[in-house]
Amino acid sequence: MYAWDFAALKPYWGLIWQGLGVTVLYTVITVVAGLAIGLLTGILRTMGPRWVSIPLRGYIEVFRCTPLLVQLVWVYYALPVLIGVDMSATTACFLTLSLYAGSFYAEVFRGGIEAIDRGQWEAGQAIGMREGRIFRRIVLPQAIQVMVPSFINQTIIQLKNTSLVSTVAVGDLLYQGSVITAASYRPLEVYTTIAVLYFVVLFPLTLIADQMEQRLGAHR
Amino acid sequence: MNQTNPILAAKNIWKAFGTNQVLKGVSLTVARGEVVSLIGASGSGKSTFLRCLNLLETPQQGELAIGRHRFEFGKGRRAPDKAQLALLRRDVGMVFQHFNLFPHRSALDNVIEGPVQVKNMAKAEAKELGRDLLAKVGLADKADSFPSRLSGGQKQRVAIARALAMKPDVMLFDEVTSALDPELVSEVLAVIRNLASEGMTMILVTHEMAFAADVSNRVGFMSEGVMAEIGAAEDVIRTPQNPRLIAFLNRFHQQAGTGPA
Repeated sequence: MYAWDFAALKPYWGLIWQGLGVTVLYTVITVVAGLAIGLLTGILRTMGPRWVSIPLRGYIEVFRCTPLLVQLVWVYYALPVLIGVDMSATTACFLTLSLYAGSFYAEVFRGGIEAIDRGQWEAGQAIGMREGRIFRRIVLPQAIQVMVPSFINQTIIQLKNTSLVSTVAVGDLLYQGSVITAASYRPLEVYTTIAVLYFVVLFPLTLIADQMEQRLGAHR
Repeated sequence: MNQTNPILAAKNIWKAFGTNQVLKGVSLTVARGEVVSLIGASGSGKSTFLRCLNLLETPQQGELAIGRHRFEFGKGRRAPDKAQLALLRRDVGMVFQHFNLFPHRSALDNVIEGPVQVKNMAKAEAKELGRDLLAKVGLADKADSFPSRLSGGQKQRVAIARALAMKPDVMLFDEVTSALDPELVSEVLAVIRNLASEGMTMILVTHEMAFAADVSNRVGFMSEGVMAEIGAAEDVIRTPQNPRLIAFLNRFHQQAGTGPA
């Protein structure tokens, strides 16, 4: 039987918290940026002219149909060679993760917008409202209710996806784990701790998601 | 009815969906305060025609004049821009078959959305107007209820109040009782009857023959994209001339289990 020794991690807790901080920071920033990209892309995909919606579809499919790890490595190593601009690992990670999240959020937004009955648009038109206002006041609030579960789901995946930044030496939770493992020779304790930390952050998020879903749906 | 002072004049309206020519030159003139019902089989074009009157559908050809709004359609004519459409629709209320209430807003907020957002009415003033209108349709106690808590008949009455809140010159009703359980139809018809007695100009697409005969000044029978017969309500429904209208009314009475009265 393996003799667990979590006390061996004691000197490294500072690093672990630091790594968790980086993970959360990457998640928050790329989720916010991804939402902005996704909302804009989703709207233009549904309501924009074809010369806008077709290239956007291309963007979405490229990011949805290639592995995030490949995108990350490509943006970090290949893109700087092509455009001749050096990119720090941090920039490459923020950029890739935001675009990746944006491509998925765009589809969530599009699905939510398209799920709203055409009659809602017509009812707004019939009282003299213009398209933009109908979208903001009538369609989007309802679409967001439809989207909440997929949105939370995607955000949970996004937090877990940030672990891939460790491959380009960004000091997130997983990266610090590998550093600590190399120093302490305690991989079981280290990776168990890390797994527990991810869980402890994400599980409450799923509970909040359930609650929001119920509250938003209360008047349905 | 005073035909020299029309509030609405639609002339020679044509509309196709793809290869399906739904309207083939329909005309209708409605005087201020007049109530006109449009009857006909499904697919006859009556709902499409109604939707052309507030330009939810854009005619391919024809002319439309409602109040101070004038539109011409056809080759070489520019499609009306969004601002013109919005201005027209402020003055033309519409009530839909499936209510189309905003489910995320209370009954009162549904009613005041137009005045506040489109007419920039102060919220307090709009709420007062909204409560008055809800009272008028018999729903004073439902102001804070969300649509999901209302029956079909109540939803439709809120929808009528929402349209009235814009103080329209003309009200369009698109089969507003067709989606209702039979026992809820009368409460909605009572509201419409009340509006008629107040002199509201209304155009109704309906399958309620008895109601149409009773509340309307004129009834138009649409068939295959044309206005096949139009005249005083009594004449059209009690003593129809057009063979297609006679067949339609016979079918209707058979289905409804009522003999021609």
